[in-house]
Amino acid sequence: MSSEMETATLVPIKSDVDIVAARQHGRALAAQIGFAGSDLTVIATAISELARNIVSYAGAGEILLSAARHGGKTGIVIIARDQGPGIPDISLAMQDGYSTGKSLGLGLPGARRLMDEFDIVSEVGSGTTITMKKWTR
Amino acid sequence: MYERTAGKGGAAFSQSPTPLTEVMDISNEEIARRKAWLQFTDKDITHVTSVTGFAERIQDEVIEQLYDHFMEFEEARAFFKDPKVLERVKAQQKQYFIRLTQGNYDQNYVEERLQIGAVHGRIGLDTKWYLGAYNFHLQAVARRLFKEFEGDTEKALEVLLSLLKLKFFDIGLALDTIFAQRENTIRQQQDAIRELSTPVLQVRDRLLILPIIGMIDTHRARQLTEQLLRAIRDTRAKVIVMDITGVPAVDSRVANHLIQTVEASRLMGASVIVTGLSSDVAQTLVTLGVDLSKLNTVVDLQGGLEEAERILGIKVTQAGQTVSHIGAE
Amino acid sequence: MPVPILKQGSILIASVQAALTDADLIELRDELVARVGRFRSSGVIVDVTVLDVMDSFAARTLRSIAQMTKLRGAETVVVGIQPDVAFAMVELGLMLEGISTALDLEEGLAFLSERTAEGANRVK
Repeated sequence: MSSEMETATLVPIKSDVDIVAARQHGRALAAQIGFAGSDLTVIATAISELARNIVSYAGAGEILLSAARHGGKTGIVIIARDQGPGIPDISLAMQDGYSTGKSLGLGLPGARRLMDEFDIVSEVGSGTTITMKKWTR
Repeated sequence: MYERTAGKGGAAFSQSPTPLTEVMDISNEEIARRKAWLQFTDKDITHVTSVTGFAERIQDEVIEQLYDHFMEFEEARAFFKDPKVLERVKAQQKQYFIRLTQGNYDQNYVEERLQIGAVHGRIGLDTKWYLGAYNFHLQAVARRLFKEFEGDTEKALEVLLSLLKLKFFDIGLALDTIFAQRENTIRQQQDAIRELSTPVLQVRDRLLILPIIGMIDTHRARQLTEQLLRAIRDTRAKVIVMDITGVPAVDSRVANHLIQTVEASRLMGASVIVTGLSSDVAQTLVTLGVDLSKLNTVVDLQGGLEEAERILGIKVTQAGQTVSHIGAE
Repeated sequence: MPVPILKQGSILIASVQAALTDADLIELRDELVARVGRFRSSGVIVDVTVLDVMDSFAARTLRSIAQMTKLRGAETVVVGIQPDVAFAMVELGLMLEGISTALDLEEGLAFLSERTAEGANRVK
């Protein structure tokens, strides 16, 4: 039995215009899933950050948006993929530098704070895949 | 999407048609995992199904004895006052136990077991009754099993051990259902409490008071912040007095939540005065590395309100009349 | 130009109408800086009431606007950040440090006129 519902959207990311498209699709799907209020904005913002990273660092990539089910709750799954240069030091990139102003500007620690689950796989020279999930409360 | 209407057993906790295996996230992988953990293999299935005839034969007698045992207890007598209910339950119980030896312990089997568990959970049946019933049944079947396989104690033992594994599987499902229902209830109650517990009060034009009472965890901090920000928009508040006298344990995590609330309010053009933060606690927080400079703190609510009025440019003259100055003094 | 800019006395008011791409944000910044220089404006109001998402780039651009216009003698106020957006911004760590904020256009104008009055008082 699959715990994924069938509605899934693939948003190709090539330019900053696609960043807006990605977060608007994300917001729409989140609303369908049943998220409300500030969660919609939070999800759209997290998507925006990931999409922006793709444009800034990889040049092109894609964002896959889908719904999922776990333990009675429904949620949104966001996968941001690119074949860019990859992140050499993931732990450094995930460091919370906003309070000290030393963040690498990747928006990753911020995006992680916004979501319930956050997973990042990156290989220098191959690319990066980030999977984030948020569950309805 | 995989969709199935509720079986004859009844609906899930929320009366929705979603299968309980989905609601409780018991996938085929999970079922296989549980069987592996119990070492319940095809061999066990062969053993158990080999006595299906025997099981049907002894069931009526066993059920009668089971309920004779139950009815020795006052709680059960009270429960089964209506003889029609008693007969119906006995019939369902018989069906339940016969199903045990009929094979096919797949997702449908699990779904049926969960549904029964859900019904029991809804009527408030306590776990001890479950375990008592399972135990009695097992004892009764064990004795009869050894008699049935008179010469062959080894075969009887094999069947019994396989049956035991299956029983543990069933008990696990029943308990999971009860736990899930209770968790659901608790979550709903927590949500209700959270909503009721932080009122945002408008005392004056552009001034809000947010008296916080009780522990603050991440969920509550989030809910509180959302509520406050909406109130700022709806009442066009410029100053908020956030009183935390009633917050029992202000540690660095709570302090950071409060700082976030203050910063979010600032983004909407409102300033926050935090009252009720004792100087002892403040000192401790600073030692822990919390940057309290972002907070405008006043020791008590009275002082906080005076500070708020000062910021709003409201002056109270000696005679007690209020003169309103909007803008710089 | 996706963001219309109004001139009200010595104050420029930029009202965001729809979701802005990165390019739009840069254009807005450059336009505001140019006009502050041209009109010698003393204040800039950026009205983001309509924005449903404020991400790190938008926040950085607002900061640029504030810094660059300040170099030309103008004070910037960002108005209209919605509750959900404020919430997400703080979670993300976008504090808009050093930039004045106000609830809406009315409040933003009141704030700027107070500042101008203060400035005038000081000169006296």
